[in-house]
Amino acid sequence: MEKEKLKIGIYELTGCAGDALLIVDCEEELMNIFKAADIESFLMAKSDNRNGELDVALVEGSVSTEKEKEELLDIRRRSKVVVAIGNCACVGGIQAAFLDKKDWEKNFKKVYGTIAFTHTKPAQSKPIDAYIRVDHYLPGCPIGKEQFLSTFARMVGGNPPELYRFPVCVECKWHENDCLLNKDIPCLGPLTLAGCGSVCPDHNIPCFGCWGPTEEANLTSEYHLLLDKGFDLEMIKKRMANYSGTRIAEFFAQFRKEKR
Amino acid sequence: MRILKLQKNCLFPFLEAISKEAELWAPVAKGDKFAFDRVADFSRIAMNATRTIIPAKKIMVPANFNMFHFTEKGYKEDLSHVTDRILFGVHACDIHGLLTLDKIFTQVYPDPYYLEPRKRTMILGLSCWPDEHCFCKSTHTHIVEEGYDLFFTNLESCFLVWIGSSRGDDLIRLVPDLFDENLTEKDIKTYIQWQAERDNAFKTEIQFVRLPDLMELNYRAPFWEELGAACLACGSCTMVCPTCNCYNVMDKQFLGEKPGQRIRHWDSCTLPEYSEVAGGENFREKKFQRLKLWYTHKLQAYVSKYGKPSCVGCGRCLVTCPVQINVKTVAAALEGQEPEAFWKNLAKEATR
Ligand code: SF4
Ligand code: SF4
Ligand code: SF4
Ligand code: SF4
Repeated sequence: MEKEKLKIGIYELTGCAGDALLIVDCEEELMNIFKAADIESFLMAKSDNRNGELDVALVEGSVSTEKEKEELLDIRRRSKVVVAIGNCACVGGIQAAFLDKKDWEKNFKKVYGTIAFTHTKPAQSKPIDAYIRVDHYLPGCPIGKEQFLSTFARMVGGNPPELYRFPVCVECKWHENDCLLNKDIPCLGPLTLAGCGSVCPDHNIPCFGCWGPTEEANLTSEYHLLLDKGFDLEMIKKRMANYSGTRIAEFFAQFRKEKR
Repeated sequence: MRILKLQKNCLFPFLEAISKEAELWAPVAKGDKFAFDRVADFSRIAMNATRTIIPAKKIMVPANFNMFHFTEKGYKEDLSHVTDRILFGVHACDIHGLLTLDKIFTQVYPDPYYLEPRKRTMILGLSCWPDEHCFCKSTHTHIVEEGYDLFFTNLESCFLVWIGSSRGDDLIRLVPDLFDENLTEKDIKTYIQWQAERDNAFKTEIQFVRLPDLMELNYRAPFWEELGAACLACGSCTMVCPTCNCYNVMDKQFLGEKPGQRIRHWDSCTLPEYSEVAGGENFREKKFQRLKLWYTHKLQAYVSKYGKPSCVGCGRCLVTCPVQINVKTVAAALEGQEPEAFWKNLAKEATR
């Protein structure tokens, strides 16, 4: 008897749709993806989408409207397992690059003026775990093919994903790169989750942190290290904030305290 | 043990002859550093290389490899990454590094994934000259008595070649005419003088005999927390260390009919997940606890088990750690000094 297939839904909230696009771009494996599981909903790839019970929901994008929040809560209610895919869903993405509430309102006005919103109420962008319990996080901006496929295959095989928790530096050393940070190039590898295969340092480009911060990212040490190396304070802060979403809020709060 | 003489212009012909037997690997330039790589063009070999970024351990245990393929029915071992190799240009410290790995991987729990490549790799050592970060004289790993098939001492006029094994001897026998059995008195004098000069060339010295006691006495010293505060938990120090051997295994699955793979990759005790156990409990949650473990292992615990430190003085941690946490600065802190290091500056900054 054939094993019952997993019911999987792929959803997009606020983001560039890069993660969904990456899945569609897994050309050689696309048939296998659709064969291995029942893809119940995947707006980018098919038109007959159902909103029923799911074994696994893959959610891309951050929550930046009230409507998205409702949609997300509904996905959680219907799904046994929820996986955040991509930087926006995991940490909030560039649109959540940490600013405090007051700054957000100011910036929002600057961009949208006084337009009246009738469709839904906009909200400050947040990662999905601001509203729901998330079982697994698949990082990346966008997610990587290899990590996505092996995560997907593991889940289809009934196993939880096994993802790297260590920083980019580990993969970078596996590839025997001479450390850029030691050559006074501002690399964020030590703060950033591995999984990309250290592609940037492999090509002599410093890591910009696009896979988001590790659990233990030592922002204070790296921040002072870069200051010591003579980099500009604003540059360092911007670089660190870029892909860290709301995850480094506390760290930035410390600067505001210092300013006062 | 026999010692032969090889004229400088006979090296490439010798390498030419032996590279027909197995893949020849040697240090080549990588940026302004060095790395072991497969060489066909011998002019690429960096004869005066300092330490390679990653030591020779990468040949025995690659950073990341598949141990076996598996399906629901069973598994099939994968040693496809192992080939017959000749590793030329291995420095004394790295030979000692491999001897240390031998103790760990071949004694209590013999590890076939280590043993196979180790067996199939010949070690052709090459003498070197210390730079400011080398301190192998302090660890007594600047000379080798074992652990090589051939060892080349690079004198100004010629090489003196030590034969360390019968396999090494077999290599010589491929082209015996290239070698000269008769060392002159002048050769011997030159060698003795070279050795004395090299011994005097070390700029970094660490008193290892005192360190086990100092580790014990400093177990609660405040500098550990300073190290922890600066450590980026990047794992680099362990990846580059020739005696670090920890690994993790992960199962990789594929869609379709493709069998799964059990991947083995280098792990590091400086990473938070290293000491995490089922249920999420972590025995060394804080970075300073993990660093203390590393230094206890290198400077104290290994000494009580094997009579010498698990550090071969290669200087890799000195040139790799972005915040200068390394054997030299930690030894200085253990001695009650204030080393020049970013981690020390950060601590000062914090208390300002
Ligand atoms: S180059 Fe960047 S990623 Fe690589 S070891 Fe250095 S800091 Fe880490
Ligand atoms: S920026 Fe960093 S995390 Fe992103 S791809 Fe480059 S190395 Fe990887
Ligand atoms: S502890 Fe440092 S100097 Fe000693 S062997 Fe390891 S990397 Fe080399
Ligand atoms: S001691 Fe240095 S190299 Fe080692 S993990 Fe910490 S920051 Fe990285």
